[in-house]
Amino acid sequence: MPGDHRRIRGPEESQPPQLYAADEDEAPAARDPTRLRPVYARAGLLSQAKGSAYLEAGGTKVLCAVSGPRQAEGGERGGGPAGAGGEAPAALRGRLLCDFRRAPFAGRRRRAPPGGGEERELALALQEALEPAVRLGRYPRAQLEVSALLLEDGGSALAAALTAAALALADAGVEMYDLVVGCGLSRAPGPAPTWLLDPTRLEEERAAAGLTVALMPVLNQVAGLLGSGEGGPTESWAEAVRLGLEGCQRLYPVLQQCLVRAARRRDASTAPS
Amino acid sequence: MASVALSEAEKVYIVHGVQEDLRVDGRGCDDYRCVEVETDVVSNTSGSARVKMGHTDILVGVKAEMGTPKLEKPNEGYLEFFVDCSANATPEFEGRGGDDLGTEIANTLYRIFNNKSSVDLKSLCVSPREHCWILYVDVLLLECGGNLFDAISIAVKAALFNTRIPRVRVLEDEEGSKDIELSDDPYDCIRLSVENVPCIVTLCKIGYRHVVDATLQEEACSLASLLVSVTSKGVVTCMRKVGKGSLDPESIFEMMETGKRVGKVLHTSLQSILHKEESLGPKRQKVGFLG
Repeated sequence: MPGDHRRIRGPEESQPPQLYAADEDEAPAARDPTRLRPVYARAGLLSQAKGSAYLEAGGTKVLCAVSGPRQAEGGERGGGPAGAGGEAPAALRGRLLCDFRRAPFAGRRRRAPPGGGEERELALALQEALEPAVRLGRYPRAQLEVSALLLEDGGSALAAALTAAALALADAGVEMYDLVVGCGLSRAPGPAPTWLLDPTRLEEERAAAGLTVALMPVLNQVAGLLGSGEGGPTESWAEAVRLGLEGCQRLYPVLQQCLVRAARRRDASTAPS
Repeated sequence: MASVALSEAEKVYIVHGVQEDLRVDGRGCDDYRCVEVETDVVSNTSGSARVKMGHTDILVGVKAEMGTPKLEKPNEGYLEFFVDCSANATPEFEGRGGDDLGTEIANTLYRIFNNKSSVDLKSLCVSPREHCWILYVDVLLLECGGNLFDAISIAVKAALFNTRIPRVRVLEDEEGSKDIELSDDPYDCIRLSVENVPCIVTLCKIGYRHVVDATLQEEACSLASLLVSVTSKGVVTCMRKVGKGSLDPESIFEMMETGKRVGKVLHTSLQSILHKEESLGPKRQKVGFLG
């Protein structure tokens, strides 16, 4: 192409200026390690989705939508013994497809979608945490699609997405054994620091280790667990898991209230006046 | 993962056996299958290793290449993982079938190496902000016989132990332009310290107990597993629940303890085998792929 002199061509790759700035010395403020940020949860807000939920905890905002059940592609024929309670045999069980997306403006640096490996990993983590709770045997040859969209990352994004996805599934009327509540933890670097519940983005960035726990509160079963970093010996991780489970139990009543309110709202809108 | 068709009776047989600490091949719940490790099997790589664990066969090749460091970490090199599930392993991996499993394993490997102490990344830096060594670790799944994560992490550790990175010097001209000079001696290289490289231990929950190193049949009986990545000192670097079932909090704590105990034993035996193989020197008999 002949030289284009009218357009000013910028650099191919761009970075935010903060990367080149001198390190800001603001350490995150000391706080009670077991404090949970106040949570705002609302279910049933999207008109086009079967079920939806919006969760806000501190600076983290997640929107989740559920659609289905619709016919699964690539179904396999299968026989085999039916499960208990009239459920379909194992080969015919329904599928849960999860998708986790970050908005490009969610973090500090702009990340163009598709985000690559990280989003696939988190989508897999979502699926592994939600599968124990959903009665997939009641949806033979069908698939349920759950898509979580992270609007702003203010710390413990995966935990918020898990909770929002469970609320959205409940709002869609999908048969579940129990809700799934997610909780994030992080541990600051240093000789013997404590684990902090529900970290903010600043605490997460400086963390030496992070953990996300997903619990089914009534059944007291851990549905999902994902953690990495220099957490130290197993006793330290065990303490973190216990702290996370406690945090999940404390969050449960808020989610129950949210679902009750959504049900009332739905009744009020469909009730003949 | 490769699936195997098991009847209900076979599943009950396996589950009842595990309750009594007796598995189908006679092992206890905490025993590994016989593991064969051989390093330096592929000559074009900077380091390679092959691990055979029962019917699971893994080949890892490490290639060291020069590149630019990442912007956030200008003084460090880094590792890139790629896992290829070849169609030889099981017919389900034909075409794009193995891609999902490959990305899952690669993401797990990134996670377990995602801390400062596993590999000394600063030793991979040649000149800050400009040049560094990037280690491309490529994992090839030749045969799938259960317990992939463990075998892959053992193979990665052995391949990193075997990696020889050529020693380079950065010469600066009067104008300030930098030139990289490779040393003439092909045996002059730096080795990585794999003291703190973690190994993955997968614990599958079967019935009320958990087993280490599950075969394909045992994996089919297990609804949930815990993947723990342990270093030789007993430090846990990654924890993940795998599978579509849920786990009891108490069993998670038990599994972590077992994972740590088994991991430490695994590390000591792996280290001793690697050092013994190294000490045999260039005269050792290579078994390769025909043995």
